[in-house]
Amino acid sequence: MSLTEGSAIDMLRLEAQVHSAVSSVDDPEYPGISIVDLGLLETIHVEPDGSTVIGLIPTFSGCPALAIIADDVVAAVQEVADVSTCTVDWLSSPAWHADRISHEARSCLERKFTVAVQIGQRSTTCPLCASKTVEQSMFGPSRCRSVHTCTGCGETVEVLRG
Amino acid sequence: MNEISIAARDVILAFVDDEHLMGQQHTEWIGVAPFLEEDLAFASIGQDELGHAAMLLEALVGTDDADIDALAFYREASQWRSCALVEVTLPEWSDTLLRHWLYDAAEELRWQLFQGSSVQLLADISVRALSEERFHRQHGDALLDVLLRVDDAHDRIMASLHKVLPLALTMFDGAPSEADALVEGVISGSLISLLGDWQQRVDHRFGPVDWDQIVRPVLSQRKERHDDFAPLLARMLEVLDLDRTVTW
Repeated sequence: MSLTEGSAIDMLRLEAQVHSAVSSVDDPEYPGISIVDLGLLETIHVEPDGSTVIGLIPTFSGCPALAIIADDVVAAVQEVADVSTCTVDWLSSPAWHADRISHEARSCLERKFTVAVQIGQRSTTCPLCASKTVEQSMFGPSRCRSVHTCTGCGETVEVLRG
Repeated sequence: MNEISIAARDVILAFVDDEHLMGQQHTEWIGVAPFLEEDLAFASIGQDELGHAAMLLEALVGTDDADIDALAFYREASQWRSCALVEVTLPEWSDTLLRHWLYDAAEELRWQLFQGSSVQLLADISVRALSEERFHRQHGDALLDVLLRVDDAHDRIMASLHKVLPLALTMFDGAPSEADALVEGVISGSLISLLGDWQQRVDHRFGPVDWDQIVRPVLSQRKERHDDFAPLLARMLEVLDLDRTVTW
């Protein structure tokens, strides 16, 4: 099927397929959690000739995983039939915030990784026992995570924030 | 890129070089900071500063790695626009901690100069940088809150403050074309215009400083380098020079 004279419906279908392909890319640090659910996807532009530009935003400007994520996105999108080329554009705006993380991704981070998400300055609760957590170190194993301990069960809890 | 004028390039480069060298200096404490939390903090804060430098470099030359490296690493020393505060090697941890606090107190103000920039990209980048910078400020303050309450730590911090302050004043030296950038609306104020706000932050944090007693550095519009610059750059190039074509 060629989209050079594609109908509006064909274009919408293709965009949906591209969106689905981007959604299939997981964050390198959290296997099983899509970059779309983490709030990295900002724009998708598909031209009638199949050339595609994916606009992403980084969680933090110095994130060392950006090149890996971009490569994974290009590889996934190029698998879509009717996509001719794909490039990733790291956008300078907007700035990422933790409230861009979807509800599903938050639950998965809690269950699978014992990671709590902090929105703004709000207090965080332990993913295991729901007690309050207390910050032990403002910076943790990566730039976007601090280290807390649970006041209830004593578990170490990583807190994703931004 | 077309929309970046010569004057804009000049003030952006001053920020790039400060962020780049500050980031490098922070990374040199990874593994040797006095305790694990500081190791992690300096790794993360350094990563942010290097990220800021990278964003600004991309604004100047685009996303090609070779172009970025050429500008970021392979200029003559006289073409750098960094200030002495970020060029100097500080082997004492307390001096480094003070540099971190003093630098970030000014860095936040510097990003605010870009907030309404006529160069939209700079205005955009400043929003992200400012949201990251508050973590740096919180970190420096949280640690100082504890240390300044302990007698001997307090004395060491204050000694370091007076040692680092003259160097910190070099941050407010404007690049040669700064006045033109101001007219073009690239920045909303000169670096020296931030000095008063920054001094208030210092006074508020450490108690009133007798600013008349602080030795004023000789300013060169950022054209001259501190003696520690050459060895610092050599350390930065040590790995890159093994093979400049390799992709990391």
